[in-house]
Amino acid sequence: MSSQALEYLEQLPLQTHKKLYEQPSTVLAIFRCMLPHLAKSIVMAMLYMPMPLSSSDLDAWFRPSASKLQKDSLYILEKLHILELKQRDTSRQIEYSLAPGFSKSLRQALEGSGTHRSFGVPAPQTGERKVTIQELDDYAQGQWESLLFYMVGGTVGFQGSVGGDIGQGTKTLLEGGGFVAKNHGKIGITRTGFMFVLQDTNAQVWSLLIEYLKYVDNLGLGMSETDVLSFLFMLGSLELGQDYSTATLSPTQTIMLDDLTAFGIVYMSHKNAKTFYPTRLATTLTSDSGALSTTNSNDVAAPGTGATQKGFIIVETNYRLYAYTSSLLQIAVLSLFTKLTTRFPNLVSGKLTRASIARAVQTGISSSQIISYLDAHAHPQMQKSIPFIPPTVTDQIRLWELEGERVETTNGYMIKEFSSEKEYREIVKYADDLGVLVWKDDSEKKLFVDRIDQLQEVLKRQANKRR
Amino acid sequence: MVKAVRGVMVKCDASIKAMLIDIDNKNHNDFIIEDLDEEHLLVKEGKIMALKNRLAQMMKERLKDPTEEIESGKEN
Repeated sequence: MSSQALEYLEQLPLQTHKKLYEQPSTVLAIFRCMLPHLAKSIVMAMLYMPMPLSSSDLDAWFRPSASKLQKDSLYILEKLHILELKQRDTSRQIEYSLAPGFSKSLRQALEGSGTHRSFGVPAPQTGERKVTIQELDDYAQGQWESLLFYMVGGTVGFQGSVGGDIGQGTKTLLEGGGFVAKNHGKIGITRTGFMFVLQDTNAQVWSLLIEYLKYVDNLGLGMSETDVLSFLFMLGSLELGQDYSTATLSPTQTIMLDDLTAFGIVYMSHKNAKTFYPTRLATTLTSDSGALSTTNSNDVAAPGTGATQKGFIIVETNYRLYAYTSSLLQIAVLSLFTKLTTRFPNLVSGKLTRASIARAVQTGISSSQIISYLDAHAHPQMQKSIPFIPPTVTDQIRLWELEGERVETTNGYMIKEFSSEKEYREIVKYADDLGVLVWKDDSEKKLFVDRIDQLQEVLKRQANKRR
Repeated sequence: MVKAVRGVMVKCDASIKAMLIDIDNKNHNDFIIEDLDEEHLLVKEGKIMALKNRLAQMMKERLKDPTEEIESGKEN
């Protein structure tokens, strides 16, 4: 599950969380896909508890050696406002309980109780022909590929497009999200855009949707964030190949349908259709199984796209690269970091060179992204040896990257001017446990961390103690 | 009172660090907040990209790359 989605959810305020948790489908999706395993166990154990659980009882569930994991899980649960902390006045003991809204909805989702309709309402059977799963996949794939090609194609100088045009709204969105930037009237891909293109489809969909959420928010169309989010989570729980009625959707969600159709996430037979179909992009939103490309490689392959969807890249130890593909999108992606020389009807060939890798690194692609792309799309013949990509090549790609990048940077905070050695030690240990410590200097009592929000509370506590 | 300062931690080897400090000195100390130890510098958050660009430029000027020409010759 994509981590951006979790990050986005974490920073939402309590009010939004409360409203979100009114929908059982949302709660189930968050529970299933967002929470780490340990957090899931905690939620499950507490789901049917009638009384709040004291912190000492909770601590007893964990081995002392797992305190870091425990802290992490509790932190996420608190951030998402799933777990509520209360201090009992008499004993000053901290008690935990699940947020009532969350636990109620999760129970409803698990038991199938209540009359919430949050899992979508299947459209009544009519005589009309149903759209097949095959058609849905083709549609989703077509839309998504044109979107990707729009981003990549302009940069490498390809004309035309693979599918249809992607619509003005989507273009504005991509630009707003910083995936592409206009340079002298020409569309060019950005650093963020590169990362986007090389991600797997599921992560791509989430990145785009999160941009979409921010975008709708700024637009001020009165589309509520919660409505948008719960709709997305609902889409994730729908069934592929089933059509759903639009009658129960809120006005916000009806507007969304148009945009989502443009992305290829849902399919509507015409603009004012009474029903909509979720495509594979939608139904895999909240599941671990990959969207599109990976499903195709599992031999559910769509004819016509089949060959290009399986592994198609051969890399030789002399850095020569052969790619059995005729898809413009894939050729465009390859040309981001390969010096392509020849193109045949079903094959392009080229070479990974120092210059081509350096160019890619300069525009923001990392060596590990390139390697994982080559690895994920290695030709079946290549997959016979392990690792798929010759180690000499992967090592060289990394070395080429290092040549360009002589400095390593980390954004974060420098914490200094501690009043005592003890306080300094305490913070260093805590930061180390959380895994945020980047650098420290014991003699100067300074440390550098890449995230500060969790530390802030400890710092505050220290300050209070001193007073 | 404990203070927290926003910034970018830069880790590099000593030779690169010397170049970074040189760039900083020539530009009214506009980039670096603090010189931490042999391999670490704390740099102002908004300035890191500019600093990196200057470094790349400086490297290009100072270090002529002998492999460059050989390689491009090989490819043809």
